[in-house]
Amino acid sequence: MRQEACAAAREALPVESTEVNAPTPDATIREGEMEGVLHVVGELGFRGASVRAVLEYSGGHRKQFYGHFDSLEDCFAQAYEAWIDRLGVSLLEPAITAPNWQASVQAGLVKLFEFVDERPAIARSLFIEVQIAGGAALTKHDEAVDRLAGLLDSVRTEIEPDQAPPASTGIFVVGGIEACLCDALAAGEANRIWDALPELMHLAVGSYLGKEAGEAASEEAKELLARGRAELNEGSR
Amino acid sequence: MTELRLITPEAKEGPFSAGTPLPRRLPPGRHGIPSNLVREHQRLRLLAAMAEAVGDHGYANVTTTHVSERANVSTSTFYKHFGNLWDCLLAAYVAAADQLCETIEAACVEAEAGGDSLAEGIRAGLDLFATEPALGRLVCAQAPREATALGAARRLLISRLAAMLRRARGDKEERPQPHRLDERLIDATLAFLHTRLAGDDPERLTSLASELAAILDRPRLGGAAIAGQR
Repeated sequence: MRQEACAAAREALPVESTEVNAPTPDATIREGEMEGVLHVVGELGFRGASVRAVLEYSGGHRKQFYGHFDSLEDCFAQAYEAWIDRLGVSLLEPAITAPNWQASVQAGLVKLFEFVDERPAIARSLFIEVQIAGGAALTKHDEAVDRLAGLLDSVRTEIEPDQAPPASTGIFVVGGIEACLCDALAAGEANRIWDALPELMHLAVGSYLGKEAGEAASEEAKELLARGRAELNEGSR
Repeated sequence: MTELRLITPEAKEGPFSAGTPLPRRLPPGRHGIPSNLVREHQRLRLLAAMAEAVGDHGYANVTTTHVSERANVSTSTFYKHFGNLWDCLLAAYVAAADQLCETIEAACVEAEAGGDSLAEGIRAGLDLFATEPALGRLVCAQAPREATALGAARRLLISRLAAMLRRARGDKEERPQPHRLDERLIDATLAFLHTRLAGDDPERLTSLASELAAILDRPRLGGAAIAGQR
């Protein structure tokens, strides 16, 4: 993802800053309910979630909840919109400072995997349960996928027009990355996603730049993982 | 005796068999059809109805009542065949996955004589999805959390399709692609087709065949081959 494309996409995302103004108590409760609905849906599935379960997680009252949202579905849709945009911003920030397209793809993937590893229940909501929920949340999901596909496509400026990859390559690659996340999340093994970094880099880079570039990206990702695991082992001694 | 052609063991027969539509109801009254055939006919109708009901109501809202009404059987008949909704969904998924693999396999075998088996296999798969969009949506969608066994069935389908992709391309390569990359390519293909099945006119799917073949080929092509492709 080219840096200028990432920076422009970051600017376009309507994510509020929480540092300028301290949130009001009511906003904090609402925020807790939104986190709660994503957590509960991720844990119980969209069909199994209830307002009661959300309130058990967030600690609020039923009356407050219905003051903020029309229904559980409305709460899920609003929470989805807020969190998918925040996730988008957090993926773009390391990508903006990366030295080139391939490095920014890897930086974005690493950030995404950190999120999935740290917040698996919320990730299940964002990537799996949204397909079950449908509606406004699914529309936001599809918009986010299109945005990421557009960012991957920014490498086209570096490819000769007569060697350009097929038009749907970006959507294809983002779909492959998401399917891999869903697989690990559905199996309840979110941390397994790290093992997929080399092959997803191979998929992303190879789909645009071909075999040699894909293989090189895969090797680089393997080295990154090996370094990270060695550091972890060093730290745990 | 009333003929029940759709439950004969011939090829192309099944809950999603393209061509002759599955009759929604057996003849009323005393028809003399053996009970095992009636039971098998009900089961096939339930599998087809499951895929259609998921397409209409989504995983969030689909119920056994939706499925049994669509299959023209009672809810108690539904439970004679399946323990719960997810058992039926799994059976429908496995039937759909088998049909997809058989369709692609047959097209690849036919093309091996001289054609491009990858392109022909993709075309055959897309044709199937275009004529049976409910089957396509069922096969391509991610499994809901409650249907745990569906995830395993999906992984099995991905492995089968990845093996076909390797046979079509990888066998001729000096340095074969890592197996898991082929599985990621298939995963991405299903996700890509899922978005197309949700949004577009399913009949337009077939026009994606050459683009999809080019996308699947690209990570296997060196710089020189990419330059020579145009």
